[in-house]
Amino acid sequence: MQKKTQMTSRERVLNALSGKPVDRTPVANPTSVATVELMDLVGASFPEACRDPELAARLASTGYTELGFDSISPYFSIIQESSALGCEMQWEEKDNWPTVRMYNPIWKDSSDVKIPSDFLKHREVKAITESIKMIREEFGDEVAIIGKTMGPWTLAYHVFGVESFLLGSVDNPEETFKALEKLTEISILFGQAQIDAGADVLTFPDHATGDLVSGEYYKRFLQDIHTDMVEKLPVPIILHICGRTVDRMPYIAQTGMASFHFDSKNEPNEAMGAVDGGIGLVGNINNPETLYAKDPEDVKEEVFKCLDAGVQMIAPECAVPLATKAQNLIAIPEAVKDWTNSKSND
Amino acid sequence: MPIVNESLEKELQYVSDLKEQAHIRALWTKADPLMQEISVSLIQGKNEVVSDLTEAALEKGFSANTILDDGLIAGMAIVGVKFRDNIIFVPEVLVAARAMKAGMAHIEPILSESGIEPLGTVIMGTVKGDLHDIGKNLCIMMLRGAGFSVIDLGVDTSPEEFIEAIEDNEANVVGMSALLTTTMPNMGKTIQAFEEVEMRDIVKVMVGGAPLTQEFADDMGADGYGKDAISCVDLAKSFYS
Repeated sequence: MQKKTQMTSRERVLNALSGKPVDRTPVANPTSVATVELMDLVGASFPEACRDPELAARLASTGYTELGFDSISPYFSIIQESSALGCEMQWEEKDNWPTVRMYNPIWKDSSDVKIPSDFLKHREVKAITESIKMIREEFGDEVAIIGKTMGPWTLAYHVFGVESFLLGSVDNPEETFKALEKLTEISILFGQAQIDAGADVLTFPDHATGDLVSGEYYKRFLQDIHTDMVEKLPVPIILHICGRTVDRMPYIAQTGMASFHFDSKNEPNEAMGAVDGGIGLVGNINNPETLYAKDPEDVKEEVFKCLDAGVQMIAPECAVPLATKAQNLIAIPEAVKDWTNSKSND
Repeated sequence: MPIVNESLEKELQYVSDLKEQAHIRALWTKADPLMQEISVSLIQGKNEVVSDLTEAALEKGFSANTILDDGLIAGMAIVGVKFRDNIIFVPEVLVAARAMKAGMAHIEPILSESGIEPLGTVIMGTVKGDLHDIGKNLCIMMLRGAGFSVIDLGVDTSPEEFIEAIEDNEANVVGMSALLTTTMPNMGKTIQAFEEVEMRDIVKVMVGGAPLTQEFADDMGADGYGKDAISCVDLAKSFYS
């Protein structure tokens, strides 16, 4: 649905997420558009920009000010909560993502899951909540602020180790349910803190990806948890799952989430068919082969494909590789504007 | 000898490619019923049963190689096909791999004492910045099962670490893994590092990982792309043939 009057970026994103008319399809970054080029431009580099609210806000804002996206997302990685929970971290340098050393898990089972009483005061948690406040103060209602809270499945990889957690899901599913239930409390706590700080929208990455588990696994272990999240967090939620996900999209569409951020392994037309109007879609410009390796014209072709399919919000498929050229990211909103203009001239 | 194990017969129905089905059927048809039982227990992820059966087979006089080929690897072949065709996923593969390890624990010491020359040496590692290793570890298990000597560099492997391992072990094949689209470009950087030290001509590079494609592997300058652990073994064999 296209609306003629010019909207602010924030209105555009929020309208798209609630299925209301928009003046043009919004361009968002539910995960991250941080790149080395942008870090150098504003003097806010990894890993400090993941730990310091002012640097996080400065780097995240480039998504709006330099690239022309309709949103700002200051949570770049997937590690903030896990750091606060005590996971062993590898902070890396400017050109690499901070990561959790999952091969040294901190917990063995659900009985170990405990949220530290000072969780919301932890440096990596505050880096996000404080940066959201700063962005809100600087930009007011001009642009959509997208926070991010990791889902229990992803947190489980971090705290239990991927292999151990997945093996446990076969050996003792009841224990897996218990662990997920307890970890969900962390997702809600951090999500609510970001809403209180001023986030308009939350991205909810929960990596039950088709590369690891089946669609039936998603239904069995996560669909109800994700449905509950919608009731407990009073902002539009964008679920993010990487990889091939068409087999679980019909289940995702029933959760009540505002949108699903999908990967380029799923064709836009195919994904639109799979969700069948049950949920909006955000995506799915290919990162490694297109945004990282190709040119603006190639990027635009992919954007057109998404728009032609009816994808409601255009975005890179996931956090972009740090060496991605800014001109390729700028090509995304440019392509949306070109497409919109061409349609209005038809 | 026909396939006497009914569960195994049912497992064959998952193999939709008839040529592939005939090949696996032929493997099992020549296998002793005990080997067939090892295979099916492995497919079902019964690690303790696989351990017991392997021990029993050795006591009955079956050679370590026979148990490896006709029992364990034949079972993993079905697991690989089911994984490739999205009939099973990583949790189920991990359970089968755990069962394979339980069997291997009995036969590996015998194989290493036998003095049989490995098919070749393969250096394996997850690229810099990436800490995921499930896929890489499955590949390593299958490569070792197929007779390769494998040097596992673990996760977060820098180009320098790959280069050092190639030199130290005089290896001609390197396998690199990445699970993240954000770390995949590090495969290209590693290959570039091989070129800079004039090593590119002496090593064949195979790459794999969930988000990878043949196109990306080609763009990075790799010699081969393996979609799964079975393809990884096939690639290594082709490089050493």
